[in-house]
Amino acid sequence: MSTYVLMKILESAPGKYDTGIRIITLGKLDKAYDRLAGYISSGDHVLDIGCGTGALTLRAARKGARVTGIDINPEMLDTARKRLSEAGLQDRVELREMGIAELGGEPSESYDVVMSGLCFSELTPDEVRFGLHEIHRILKPGGRLLLADEIVSRSPWKRILNGIARFFLSTITILMTQTTTRAVKDLPEKVREAGFHIKDMRTGRMDNFLELAAVKPAREDES
Amino acid sequence: MNALSYAFFNAVETGLRGFPIPCRTGLVSIGSPDRDAPVFLTCNYHLTVLRVKKALQGMNCYLLVANSKGYNVWCGAAGGHFSTHSVVSALTTSGIQDRVDHRRVVLPQLAATGVEGREIDRRTGWTALWGPVYAKDIPPYTANAFSKTREMRKVRFPLGQRLEMAVMWAFPFSLIASLLTFFLWPDFLLPVNLLLWGVPLLTFLSFPLYSRGLNPQAKRMERFSAYTVIFDFSKIPLILWAVFLVGLVTFGLVANHATWEFMLRWGFASLLVILIISIDLMGSTPLYKSGLHEDRMLKVQLDVGKCKGAGFCEQVCPRDCYEVDRQRHTARIPRADLCVQCGACIVQCPFDALQFVSPGGEILTPETIRKYKLNMIGKRLVRV
Ligand SMILES: C[S@@+](CC[C@H](N)C(=O)[O-])C[C@H]1O[C@@H](n2cnc3c(N)ncnc32)[C@H](O)[C@@H]1O
Ligand code: SF4
Ligand code: SF4
Repeated sequence: MSTYVLMKILESAPGKYDTGIRIITLGKLDKAYDRLAGYISSGDHVLDIGCGTGALTLRAARKGARVTGIDINPEMLDTARKRLSEAGLQDRVELREMGIAELGGEPSESYDVVMSGLCFSELTPDEVRFGLHEIHRILKPGGRLLLADEIVSRSPWKRILNGIARFFLSTITILMTQTTTRAVKDLPEKVREAGFHIKDMRTGRMDNFLELAAVKPAREDES
Repeated sequence: MNALSYAFFNAVETGLRGFPIPCRTGLVSIGSPDRDAPVFLTCNYHLTVLRVKKALQGMNCYLLVANSKGYNVWCGAAGGHFSTHSVVSALTTSGIQDRVDHRRVVLPQLAATGVEGREIDRRTGWTALWGPVYAKDIPPYTANAFSKTREMRKVRFPLGQRLEMAVMWAFPFSLIASLLTFFLWPDFLLPVNLLLWGVPLLTFLSFPLYSRGLNPQAKRMERFSAYTVIFDFSKIPLILWAVFLVGLVTFGLVANHATWEFMLRWGFASLLVILIISIDLMGSTPLYKSGLHEDRMLKVQLDVGKCKGAGFCEQVCPRDCYEVDRQRHTARIPRADLCVQCGACIVQCPFDALQFVSPGGEILTPETIRKYKLNMIGKRLVRV
């Protein structure tokens, strides 16, 4: 699934992003997102970080949640806005052009769910650390963190195989869009360090994709 | 970092200049900075960071390396990789806020196309100062109470940089060509490399000789326009080719080797190389705008009624097009013919007094430019 680097090609053309990503991931991403959306209930206040064209945002809104989607790319947000109004869900969603680094302005304990798909792999190490800390702060006790992203495998030989595949794909993506992503290292550990309890975790066969659901412990189980 | 490894990285990465090479982002302390130490910010292109660190040697300050996805300041800012968000993120996630008492960050001037000073202030409370174009001017700029001389604001295309451009062209091409010829026609290995290094060196090193004759406003080969953009310098590639041919003939005569086959083969090959290099030759210098988009020959337009003489335009223009009259509080654009269409002045003007106008009279508002940049790579591949 190192094919995720190819998504950068699509990201530079938000209009085609959705069709493209579906072809690239052979629907796997859709399934992962559907499973994660299972953790969202009607009435939840949800934050989607790096919402892009709104794949996760739409799912949450369909479940009846009130969603805030943030992204630093205004063109992606334009596409998301269009998709949301086509689905008639625009009233339930607020989209803002801002980065994960600006979560400091959000009130503490104000969200039931924070989710992010394929965005952590675009962040700097400082942003990942800062972001997880802030997510923990703005989630209500018992609130959920849902992540789906490219990760660095723990097994050395899979790391090498993934690395080779990535090298070729990255070269293509760099030539076409001039950027590429970087898989995240030790994501589950970082999530735990930020104070979350991991409830469910799946990695693909090549151990290069992670789907994760974690909970901010309610006050009584903190010791 | 010792001199040897500095030289090594400079050499290798100059060869790979066309590719992004990211390095670690985050906060770097230079010397022993205290709570009043100045804070400088740059992109995370590996070579840039090396050079900035070298320029800062001997100072006590902080260097923030922001995420530009491995691009240099100029390309990153124009391409949307080095943006307001990169700077905001570096300021809030790196921990610099706990290290210093002031809230002033010096940004590289060439980032002004993609990074909005005002927006940084609004989102973080930090004041963005537009530092010099080149890192080597940072120490005098700092000593001069953070004010720039006119010279510090201008981009140049000095010998070193021209060499870099030539190497950037020659290196990847000669690498590929060497591999091919090595297996197919080993005899041609040397001449092919001579050609692939010779032509770019000739083109870029002789730049000052013909740069005076360039007219960036001129329409090139009007009739075929879209297809003739490769003749970026109109006749200049052909003149360069002629120079090369003279060299070739001389060589042939001296080496007693001047067969028709020899002349035709290398004459043709060199024409090809020259044409490839002249694709957007203007765009590969910092002094001219790219010639690839004929439909985007834009002009900056100043609305005198809105201008309050704040002078941001003058501070960020890399071609020094502006004069600001501090007494009458207005700007003028006396050197508009030098404009490279970077959009920096438009993006930074706090009163939206500037905008671009296309030859067809179409207007690009400051808002549009701030949002989509001018050079968004996606826009090149896909017409939106
Ligand atoms: C690959 S897209 C994924 C979009 C969407 N979640 C999906 O799965 O379709 C990653 C998104 O993260 C955004 N992004 C990158 N860095 C970010 C940051 N620091 N803060 C917020 N969003 C960011 C990008 O603009 C991009 O839209
Ligand atoms: S054009 Fe804008 S930035 Fe320039 S002097 Fe006038 S108000 Fe200031
Ligand atoms: S006048 Fe031209 S070159 Fe100068 S900042 Fe404005 S757009 Fe850039």
